[in-house]
Amino acid sequence: MTNSISSEAIRSRHPGSYQGVALVAASSVNYSRQSHHGAAWFIGKTLDKILKATGISKKEVDGLAVSSFSLGADSVVNLTQHFQLAPRWIEQLPFGGASGVIALRRASRAIQCGDANIIACIGGDAAFHRSFEVTASEFSNFTIDASFPYGAGGPNAAFALITQHYMAEYGAKREDFARIALSQRYNANHYPPALLGHKTLTEYQYLNARRIAGPLHLFDCVMPCAGGEGFLMMSEDRARHLNLRYCLIAAADELHNAHAEDEVQFRAGWSEYAVSLYDSAGLAVEDIDILQTYDDYPVISMIQFEDLGFCAKGAGPEFVRRTDLRFDRSGPEKNKLPHNTSGGQLSAGQAGAAAGYMALVESIRQLTGQAEANQVSDATHAMVSGFGMINYDRGLCSAATILKAGQA
Amino acid sequence: MSNKYTRQARLKLNRPSLRERARPPKQRTSIGHMFTTANYSGVLVMQHCQQCGLVQYPSREICQNCLDGKLIWRETSTTGHILSSIELHHSLWEYFKRRLVDAPWPIATVKLDNGATVFSHLYLASFREKSLENLTKGTDVQVFSHSDSSLNSVLIAVCATCDIAQLKDRTTIAQAMGLTAAAIKPGGI
Repeated sequence: MTNSISSEAIRSRHPGSYQGVALVAASSVNYSRQSHHGAAWFIGKTLDKILKATGISKKEVDGLAVSSFSLGADSVVNLTQHFQLAPRWIEQLPFGGASGVIALRRASRAIQCGDANIIACIGGDAAFHRSFEVTASEFSNFTIDASFPYGAGGPNAAFALITQHYMAEYGAKREDFARIALSQRYNANHYPPALLGHKTLTEYQYLNARRIAGPLHLFDCVMPCAGGEGFLMMSEDRARHLNLRYCLIAAADELHNAHAEDEVQFRAGWSEYAVSLYDSAGLAVEDIDILQTYDDYPVISMIQFEDLGFCAKGAGPEFVRRTDLRFDRSGPEKNKLPHNTSGGQLSAGQAGAAAGYMALVESIRQLTGQAEANQVSDATHAMVSGFGMINYDRGLCSAATILKAGQA
Repeated sequence: MSNKYTRQARLKLNRPSLRERARPPKQRTSIGHMFTTANYSGVLVMQHCQQCGLVQYPSREICQNCLDGKLIWRETSTTGHILSSIELHHSLWEYFKRRLVDAPWPIATVKLDNGATVFSHLYLASFREKSLENLTKGTDVQVFSHSDSSLNSVLIAVCATCDIAQLKDRTTIAQAMGLTAAAIKPGGI
């Protein structure tokens, strides 16, 4: 490709500090496989849960950031009338799996600059009968013209091609991907809202599941569903004053359409800023107690282990073989890394754009000690990574943040 | 008031699985329709930037390299190599669901020698091995366009030595793949 991005230009850049910004009130609502409710209902119920949890009134919310694939003719501003909010700061982030971290970055700056004091960040999506088919067939202009007509596999087809290529290139086996899916199911078994949390998953079931596309079988694919995920952002002082449990942002960054020269995607923007992310946070990879990756397919979680510095490029399969990814560190492997502690999308369900907020919301719950049966012990730093938007042959968005627990 | 006929018409629209004829996705953007039209008279036609000459795919409004706004539809080289190939066992679209009953549907991403990366239907029968495992990255292929039964131009990848110079050869391939006919459900609406 001709539009490759100079990596030096990117590495020399550090985003400013996120000091003084707090995240509170992690809320997940109403995951369901299918629902007659629209996106406004899921976003509104998430807002309702956030406000009830904090005791903050609707009037005090002066910022609203929203992500959804199913708002139809509406945007975030239409929602202000649905909920009768009067925000002086609004933002809409239609970036799929990277929406949450991008919302966090935008809202942080608004709070630091005084553009808004209390910002609700919410992802929510509906799931009507056959609505996923519509989302997939009209996902982007390139999708409509140049990928959906070829078998109409939706994201499964694009990721099957990426997975096939990764397996051939780096020798990954289905058994390696199984380790990611199985430990996430174990985590989901301890997180009641997870839609598949009531079922166990064995390696035999994983390997012998129904074939979907190329190397992808049923348990490599997320289940589209409805649901909402959200949290509030405010200054640390305000969170302390309101006596709310909060966590802070140690670092955050994003990069989109990186590595356009790669013929098939085997990395994304993280590889360009992971080092600066740890630098800004003053932390090393070993300091990360919880990792939440965007797991629409196991291969992309493996790519994130590599790009975010947990292992070298191509060493993902070997890394998962020697690493215990369970939330309670109960596996036999020596290396411990609680990963996707609520089961991720693979086991909890993919609620459209809410899936881009899920990992953040779960991390806030963990770091504020508000997770229940799936609480990770002794966790102070969580890394959350977002990935999204298969525009044509690859995912464009990458975003990542390191969160740290606030003072109790 | 709804009667037997309006109910049938509504079912036909809302429940693709009940229709007699299912066809490949018809929807395209306006640029996508221009790709179809341009390919009616060529083996493989793509946009070329008037200023820098770069071949553009997927079709677009502006050159991805120099942002020049004048892109010319012109014949381009059909040769390239496979980047990744898979068989679909599941589809969201009724036409492919019906085709999948008989056999998985092979597709590939192909890097064309002109620099473009394309998704294409893969005509497995044209390769001597006839098995996907042997079509690894780097396998040489040719890619041509043909109209499907929704009357859109779609891309088909075949083996590097296949004869595709004549329209009748290309049509034979598209027909053999079932692309030029609707998938029929006997007794459908």
